[in-house]
Amino acid sequence: MNIGSVNRRGPNLWLSNRRFGALLIIPSAFVLLVLLVAPAILTIFQSFYNVPADGIGIGEFVGLSNYVFLLTNPIFWESVYVSIVFAIIFISLSTIVGLFAALLLNQSFKGRFFLRGMLVLPWACPWLIVGVIWKWFGDGEIGLLNGILLRLGIISDYKDFLNDPNYAIWLTAIAASWRQSCLVGLLLLAGLQTLPRDLSDAASVDGAGVFQRFWHITLPWLRPSLTIVTVLNVIYGLMQFDVIFAMTQGGPSNATTLLSFLIYRQFFIFTNFGIGSAIAVSLALLALVGGLITVKKVYKKIEI
Amino acid sequence: MSSQRTSGKRVNPRKIAHKFLLYFFASILLIWILLPFFYTLGSAFSPSSEIGKRPTPFWPVDPTLDNFKIVLGLPVQQQDCSAQGAGIDLCNTAEINISVQAILTTMWNSFYIGCLVVGITLIFAIFSAFSLSRYRFAGAKFFQNFIILSRIVPGLVLIAPIFIVLRVTNLLNTSWALVITYVSFTLPLAIIILKFYFDQISSELDEAAAIDGANRFQIIFSIILPVAVPGLIATGVLVFLESWGEFFFSLVLTDSLTVPPLLAGFLSLQTFSWTLLSAATVIAVLPPILLTMVFQKYLVSALAAGSGK
Repeated sequence: MNIGSVNRRGPNLWLSNRRFGALLIIPSAFVLLVLLVAPAILTIFQSFYNVPADGIGIGEFVGLSNYVFLLTNPIFWESVYVSIVFAIIFISLSTIVGLFAALLLNQSFKGRFFLRGMLVLPWACPWLIVGVIWKWFGDGEIGLLNGILLRLGIISDYKDFLNDPNYAIWLTAIAASWRQSCLVGLLLLAGLQTLPRDLSDAASVDGAGVFQRFWHITLPWLRPSLTIVTVLNVIYGLMQFDVIFAMTQGGPSNATTLLSFLIYRQFFIFTNFGIGSAIAVSLALLALVGGLITVKKVYKKIEI
Repeated sequence: MSSQRTSGKRVNPRKIAHKFLLYFFASILLIWILLPFFYTLGSAFSPSSEIGKRPTPFWPVDPTLDNFKIVLGLPVQQQDCSAQGAGIDLCNTAEINISVQAILTTMWNSFYIGCLVVGITLIFAIFSAFSLSRYRFAGAKFFQNFIILSRIVPGLVLIAPIFIVLRVTNLLNTSWALVITYVSFTLPLAIIILKFYFDQISSELDEAAAIDGANRFQIIFSIILPVAVPGLIATGVLVFLESWGEFFFSLVLTDSLTVPPLLAGFLSLQTFSWTLLSAATVIAVLPPILLTMVFQKYLVSALAAGSGK
């Protein structure tokens, strides 16, 4: 920070630094006001109105009835449940696989840099392409996943996982974590590489085993990175749309209809903007609460 | 075992076990990462006649470039019409071929939309990030918190008003619809990352330049930006990747203008074959993968900066 010169006004300064600083953010602030704040406020407004299907004008004020409709609707609650289950599988898998990858890549062995290079590849794939790849990978007719499971003797015949409500949520969540776990791995690895060597060496001299060192030194050191990563996982887990769209379209029989997909359906299939906005507000609240709780929980848990 | 050895280096069995475990886990990780790619690549080289074999082969027995040729609109040798793979008539694919060839057009769209988004985002972000990094003023903290908060609430929930406004202004199905909406979520990201990079540049540098008589814009453009080139590259690539891969807005605001909705559209065509789609997927994923590999070093630190703070 340039504290020393906050109010200095040299011969070539036509504005104080304070004013100049504020002036510089005005363009961005304006853009974000128009593109983020205004739509957010409008969405909240719409959730209290019976918005006509053509979207012209805001329609009739209906108070909380969109929300009452949602809260008494089993499809909404099913979708909340599915979203949370999906998010939990996604968050746990991404964090565990990512942590595993980071710890592994922090060891020295031949091929380590090659492996780290590979770790970027799934992350480089757009979410939709992740969905496309995994839809066919897990396909019940021609997918390689079935081919491998059959060869290993785990299944006796091809199984259409994506058409089975019990498996579809797992396979979609696994597909999404395939990409996310690599991002998590990269971020945690960056955190691990700042761990001073002396710290774990000293513990090792004191007779601490691998697991003790992991628990008392590595994990606390990773606390800030883990918090960030978990918040990211919560957000991406609750917001997932692309992978679901490509793999299951919310099916079979709503088994993978996440809230994000329910919003899409309300807006663009049923053109019910009022209800859709009410779901959007609920999802945004869920993401905010989820993100904030994570920050608190993760910080506490690892401190012990 | 190894302790029996009399000459040469003593081999510690624990070390061997350690090495073995490392490579074992590394192989598992590598398989987890590469298997889905490998299957997609294999399918892209498969003739349709080989699709549907059980158990699914790891790699086609008789690899072919035909899928890529069809996607790229190159002439393909006369096909054997009697061979029917995965229920498609190989001789009646003219319509499919035309729609799949749209991949090149959409890739061009994705490319120039990405460039526009990067350009616009950087212009806005540079000034804001510089301001947040160097000056203290009322509202700076608020602005910064707002930016971080905006990364938590996703664009998807804001779609209704955006859709309605774009329809009223007749901007639906234009590149501008996407450029405008993409900037709304790439701008906060770019500001966070660039601020991180600017923070690392000593402010003594700007003070020295100010004493030499440089005005504040000269300081930004001729002192700060040249030093911040790695940050600018990383931010630009990251923004480009976000724009290239964005699906939801492109799906609902345009008629398959960019790559992701086009690929998604192929999924719902009953007659569409996975071999062609996999070839199209491989082509579509090449630009982001190449970009990421080339700029890997910059990207990882930018990602850490963009998600932290």
